[in-house]
Amino acid sequence: MSEFAKSLTVSASGLQAQSARLRHLSENISNADTPGYQRKTIAFETAFSAARGVSPVEVGRVSLDDRELELIHDPSHPLADESGHYRGSNVNLLIELADAREAQRSYEANLKMFEQARQMSSSLMQLLRR
Amino acid sequence: MDLGAISAVQKYTASRPATEPKAEEGGSMFGKVAKDFAQTVAQGEAVAKQAMVGDADPHALVQALAQTELAVETAVTVRNKVVEAYQEILRMPV
Repeated sequence: MSEFAKSLTVSASGLQAQSARLRHLSENISNADTPGYQRKTIAFETAFSAARGVSPVEVGRVSLDDRELELIHDPSHPLADESGHYRGSNVNLLIELADAREAQRSYEANLKMFEQARQMSSSLMQLLRR
Repeated sequence: MDLGAISAVQKYTASRPATEPKAEEGGSMFGKVAKDFAQTVAQGEAVAKQAMVGDADPHALVQALAQTELAVETAVTVRNKVVEAYQEILRMPV
């Protein structure tokens, strides 16, 4: 496996990790109005494989954010207690959107590295042609 | 004069092993490269087939195809060089 092939592998793993991150973000956003929903966060880990000699990134465990759930006043809601409140979700749309933008930037960076490795190997082969 | 001829013969016999082809070494190495190439192409094909039926991740597809492209490009370049060298030898005035 050449160095170029290795960097292609690592970049592809970065792309995969960022798309997984985006999936969890969209789950959070679509469940922003679900009562009792706790927002999900994921961690990135380095998966070193000695056999291939590369260290790609991979998605770790999904954890739940245990901040206090928002208290919403709505006496007509079926989940409301005696005081007319029920627990909503603890998703903050602003944070989710900022995180999504960060995921997009990171995805673009990985995409650029992929393109770069491909271009470099292609120009190397161009040397041998006339 | 005789001595000169003898030393020339000695030098010739001494330098012969250096120019002799090491058949098994070169052959096995080329075989390994060819096997690697075939494996890369086959892997690319397998991932492409999986992606068509919706099994594979699109990132894996792009990665496999890019690696296959890289390998094919290298193989084509090497082949062109080999053919060029062969034609150069054929054109040699005898």
